Amino acid sequence: MKIQHKRNAMKLPRIRESFRLRSIQTIITVSFTLMTILVVVAVSFMLYNKFTKTAEENAYLNIQQIIEQVNYHLELYVKGMQDIYEVVEEQINDTPDISSPVLREQLSTLLHTREDLVSVGLFTPGGKLVLDNPDLEMRKNTMLEEQSWFESAHEQPQKLSFSAPHIQNLYKGQYKWVVSLSRVIKYKDHGISKEGILLVDVNFRTIDELSRKVSLGKRGYAYIIDDLGNIVYHPQQQLIYAGLKYENLEPVFEYAFGSYIDKSTGEPRYITIRTVEPIKWKIVGVAYPDEIVTTKKDLNQFVFWFLLVVCAAVVVLAMFVSAKISQPLRRLEKSVQSVGQGDFNTPIHVSGAHEVVQLSKRFNFMLHRIRQLMDQNIHEQEAKRKSELDVLQSQINPHFLYNTLNSVIRLAEKGKKEEIVATITSLSRFFRISLSKGKNIITLEEELEHVRHYLIIQKIRFKNKFNYAIECEDLALTCRTLKLILQPIVENAIYHGIEKMSDEGLIRISASIQEERLVIKVSDDGLGMTRQVMDQILIGGNRSGGSGVGVKNVNERIRLYYGKHYGLSFESELEEGTTVTITLPVEKYEDEQQERGMA
Amino acid sequence: MTRTRAVRMRVYFMLAWTVLLASCGGAAPNLHVLEKPKNVDMIVKMNHGDFWKTVKMGAEVAAKEYNVNLTFKAPQNESDIDEQIRLVDESIKNNADAIILSASDYMRLAQVTDRAAYYKIPVISMDSEVASARITTFVGTNNYEAGQKAAERLIKLTGPESRIGVMNFVRGAKNADEREEGFMDYVARFPGVEVVDIEYCESDEQIARQLTRKMMKEHPDISGIVALNEVASIGTAEEIQELGFGGKVKIITFDSPAKVMELLQEGIVQGTVIQNPFNNGYLAVQYAVQVMEGIEVKEREDTKSRLIDLDNMLRPDNQKLLFPFVK
Repeated sequence: MKIQHKRNAMKLPRIRESFRLRSIQTIITVSFTLMTILVVVAVSFMLYNKFTKTAEENAYLNIQQIIEQVNYHLELYVKGMQDIYEVVEEQINDTPDISSPVLREQLSTLLHTREDLVSVGLFTPGGKLVLDNPDLEMRKNTMLEEQSWFESAHEQPQKLSFSAPHIQNLYKGQYKWVVSLSRVIKYKDHGISKEGILLVDVNFRTIDELSRKVSLGKRGYAYIIDDLGNIVYHPQQQLIYAGLKYENLEPVFEYAFGSYIDKSTGEPRYITIRTVEPIKWKIVGVAYPDEIVTTKKDLNQFVFWFLLVVCAAVVVLAMFVSAKISQPLRRLEKSVQSVGQGDFNTPIHVSGAHEVVQLSKRFNFMLHRIRQLMDQNIHEQEAKRKSELDVLQSQINPHFLYNTLNSVIRLAEKGKKEEIVATITSLSRFFRISLSKGKNIITLEEELEHVRHYLIIQKIRFKNKFNYAIECEDLALTCRTLKLILQPIVENAIYHGIEKMSDEGLIRISASIQEERLVIKVSDDGLGMTRQVMDQILIGGNRSGGSGVGVKNVNERIRLYYGKHYGLSFESELEEGTTVTITLPVEKYEDEQQERGMA
Repeated sequence: MTRTRAVRMRVYFMLAWTVLLASCGGAAPNLHVLEKPKNVDMIVKMNHGDFWKTVKMGAEVAAKEYNVNLTFKAPQNESDIDEQIRLVDESIKNNADAIILSASDYMRLAQVTDRAAYYKIPVISMDSEVASARITTFVGTNNYEAGQKAAERLIKLTGPESRIGVMNFVRGAKNADEREEGFMDYVARFPGVEVVDIEYCESDEQIARQLTRKMMKEHPDISGIVALNEVASIGTAEEIQELGFGGKVKIITFDSPAKVMELLQEGIVQGTVIQNPFNNGYLAVQYAVQVMEGIEVKEREDTKSRLIDLDNMLRPDNQKLLFPFVK
């Protein structure tokens, strides 16, 4: 039943077998893969965070640097304009007469050297033109009194004021975007010192271009506001004026220097603010983080593919390693399986990892031992069968019967009626016990009875050539013993010990229990034997006549039944006699069933 | 037992993957910004003039912001309608993703507009409309209202009893017709005001000057003239100045070329109606992007007109409208 089941399992497809969840291969593959993926994911997550943070910081730093640079250029430019204003003012101060052609020439030269200088004009506090360069006609309807440069010069006469960029509408022939510098100065008209407002217009183009070139990512830009919040420059100025674009200026006013993330338009924007110190303009850089931090996207893709490749590699590696480990084991399992099915002869293939090799070796060794034991077993079984056959044979020993019947004939011829009766009776008993219903184990009492009858027969036959004595402890009588163990020994004693003696011999049989062993001694006072002969008895067993059951056979039978601790031992001395000691375990005769089972 | 374990394991795996994917996904992009750049062709009436340059500037700002490849095309002359039709056809052939069209002729550009729509190219109408139902949206000044604004100021200057002339530019252009219509409808409220002459200068300065001279000759009692576009305004105002009627004949113009501004300060021109070309260009591109992204857009976007005179010309927001370029 069990074997049948195993065969079925073996017939299952190999694929399913290899995917069994509990197999070493699966366990190693899955745990190894999971472990590695976990570690890789954790590490890449950490690295990713670190990288993106650094990339972000770098991007923001970069933007700050760009704005810083613009700020630096603007400050430089503004300082340059201030210098020019002071040069113009100095020249006017140094000239005794404002209408002198020398001054005009000087101013013209100055205007030519500085390309972005648009015009210089001197006005009376009432707004009347005193001097202008280039020498242009004034327009009508200029409304210059309302213009910011004029107003601020009136409000703060000593401070050089910068206007927001505006259209210069004073002179004919041009409309230019300018930044106006103005202050109240002193000049001399025909030696009379007067006060007037000096206006220097600087082309706004330089600032406009500088701001326009600021590129903060693809969509980012920079704008400039003045200290009042007016837009100086914005790439989408019209949209803001039309209300289509919105620039959150409130936080811009709070900072003079700094950066923050603005979310007022819905999309996060990175705002960087710097202030052009001399004129308090604020440069505001606007960048879109999701755009400038492009590394994040790149890194995303890289990490994704990296993880994919690593995972694939790990799976392959894990499968390879686990296969390497589990394959020899599986081979071993197959060998063991074939052994289990009864094939003890194929040795197990020894290869693979050290542990597997050791296991295979030990298994091979075990197999070898099993084979040995099995051979031994077979051998012992055969020996047992043979000895049983021997016993069977001895039970109907024709030679003994023939001898006995011969002696009966002789007695009959002599007319010794009593002896004939004794002989026949004993013979009958002898055979009855010999057969004893085919039993192999009998009581010591029966065995002693058996040998007694044998002795009676032999004594009559050998014409009272010997005497015998049988002694036994009462306790020992009921002990169990193999049958027909005494008769061969006694037979030996008669034929080899006593027959050739000139005197009358004595055979003594005694049984007792000593140290929990049943000890039966058969001693004669016959010829005795040499040590060499004694040693020969249990090994070779030269059977010369006798009833056919050798002493050696007795010893073997005892050992087969009771083990190596029991058996025969000999003591002999030439001309003194021989004592054969039989040791058996003490087993009481109790149950007939048990005995039958043993047989 | 092993089966449930396998299932559970699979669930863990999927969880790990989703976490992984989520961390790689990043933030959702802004809806308006195109992931991949798209080609938008802007076809306007004329390839010169501050008005169109400003439109182009606005369009370019939007193109940069929304990741659009902008192609700006225009015929040499506003009256060259065949060339404009050819340019639209060219854009259709080049598989533009969207077309922004400022039609020189309301009727004649209709067919080619329908053709673009047939090839699933959205057409955004800018500045002046075209007679096609397939137009996605219109971005531009409400020209009718602009005409009314001009009429309102002119009648305020000339008084309810006066004779006035109209210098239009191209007959058949939708914005020209609408301005004229708005102007005439407003004038009609004043029974004492009579429009004695309407001329079409074909957007040519010299023709405008000739027509003005002819108009003044035929109707010396004219006390006001309205010029309905940039070129017509320059021609008319300069001729009036030259004829010596400066200040006596009130002039309301359209748009703000430097010459007109100069004449405004000189007192020859009393007011000018300006549009917002920068916003036109910007919004047209923005709407093109929205249409391509499948976002609903308004049917019309009025970019507002504004009347500029000496009093308000120096306001910062007007300065930027009047002089869009820093030169």
